[in-house]
Amino acid sequence: MTLVVWRTEWLTALRRRRLFLLNTLIPLAFVAGIALSPAPAVHSAAVFTVLFTLFGTFGSSIPLIRDGESGLLRRYILTGVHPGSFLFQHIFATAALDLVQLTPSILVLAVSRGSSAAQLTMVVPAMVLGMIAANALGTLTAALAKSVAEGALFSAVAALVLLHWSGAFRTPAPGTWQAVLEAWSPFRPLHESLLAAAGAGGPDFDPALIALPIGATLAVLLLIAAAGRHAAGLGGR
Amino acid sequence: MFEATELSFTYPSGRVGLVDVSLRGDPGDRVVVMGPNGSGKSTLLRLVSTELRCRAGSLTLFGEGSAAPLPSLRRRIGIVQDTPVHVEDLTGLENGLLFAELYGVSRAVAARAIETLFISLGLDDALLVPTKEFSYGMNKKLLIAEALVHDPEMLILDEPALGLDPPSRAALIRILEERSASGVCTLVATNEPALAQELATTVVLLHEGKVVALGSPAELLAKVGRATRIEVHVTGSSTSPVLAELPADILSIQRLPGRIVAESESGPDVLPQLVRAVLAEGLKIERIELREPDLTDVYALFTGQTMGSEKT
Repeated sequence: MTLVVWRTEWLTALRRRRLFLLNTLIPLAFVAGIALSPAPAVHSAAVFTVLFTLFGTFGSSIPLIRDGESGLLRRYILTGVHPGSFLFQHIFATAALDLVQLTPSILVLAVSRGSSAAQLTMVVPAMVLGMIAANALGTLTAALAKSVAEGALFSAVAALVLLHWSGAFRTPAPGTWQAVLEAWSPFRPLHESLLAAAGAGGPDFDPALIALPIGATLAVLLLIAAAGRHAAGLGGR
Repeated sequence: MFEATELSFTYPSGRVGLVDVSLRGDPGDRVVVMGPNGSGKSTLLRLVSTELRCRAGSLTLFGEGSAAPLPSLRRRIGIVQDTPVHVEDLTGLENGLLFAELYGVSRAVAARAIETLFISLGLDDALLVPTKEFSYGMNKKLLIAEALVHDPEMLILDEPALGLDPPSRAALIRILEERSASGVCTLVATNEPALAQELATTVVLLHEGKVVALGSPAELLAKVGRATRIEVHVTGSSTSPVLAELPADILSIQRLPGRIVAESESGPDVLPQLVRAVLAEGLKIERIELREPDLTDVYALFTGQTMGSEKT
């Protein structure tokens, strides 16, 4: 199958110019307000991580639920498109759109806090991984939700729990199960890199920091592929 | 193409959708399912289209049982659902291309096919118009074009003519007959007796999830004879014996809520006597309708109810 779902996501996003602009300007206003303030790096990074993650989960789950409610999703799946392929294209397209819309925010953060090139080099893969994971999480929560309200609730709760486990709010004690989870969390590299870029100093590009979260994200994507039929809300035969 | 054997379906709420329905459609068949709301038409279509899982009885599609992979079966079917839904920010052409590509048709082939279908359905001036500006009828036509774009072997259509203007309705029937002639099996659900009589090779009448009659339109209509139906819509009530002095040409008479239904062998000739008899009972006549028997009469014959579910 061609990348028709990917292309459609981009086409519709670009047609909704007002929404596209708002999705760019609203995070920018948040990030600029904090980045230009004397807020400590640790607090700034926590806010940025939450903002970017929720941006990804909501942006993925709510359109999917809305399409499910309207019957559009049912129409897509009854064409014979593989649900896993459909969802993969949806996840990667919405993650790519998120990255484009959040780029001005990252640039403002980097400039205002004087981030080094090495720190920005870490932010890029961490943002890519974080957005893919957030959009995958949004897709999973959409499969469980029966309304947009439920989807928003599930997305927010799931994202905040995972962010907590990623060390965004509190660093877990070494050797505890929370510390093990933190090492695998796809949002940990995002938090660590934003922390560094926000002025705390810290890691340049560290493959060890990102390897386990990539593994965790791939596992989630495989789960989505396997659960694709359920996620599409169709019983089949 | 499809064969249902003792197919039953109950929704999670406990509502019965279908009960022991056995039915088949072969290449070139146009099977039209009729029945009132809630009779099981849409349930049957959703089962055959693989949207619902077959849990009781059996259903084979293209000779394949329940173990066949769904995506490959679905690509061989074109579906027109009762509610037309599209990506509103895309144009008619872009929506058509989207569904064609999802069905596995290349973009170049799809573009030509869509243009041809749009012309056939009288939608060609809306190729580049966003579907959020479409009327219901335009959306329905687009849905029909999307269902046909990949040349499916089987078509499943839920109320396909609903919302179409007369030329588009005629175009739809012509297209379906052409596809049928080339071996496409068509399964249609409708409440429109005229569409069923015009289109069907086989009519299935459903009542409370069960098949109550099945046959060609001619076979089924033969069961109710050729007598003209006269419906006299009345207000008021009467306790006197109904129309005591009936004209001899009236074969039968039924009193329904708000109307009296008579069957006449001599067409409208009996009307003056019938009107006099109704007025003599003290009833006020609101309007009178004359019509030839259709499939709704067959339904009433087998179920004792009209399509509107009033007891006769």
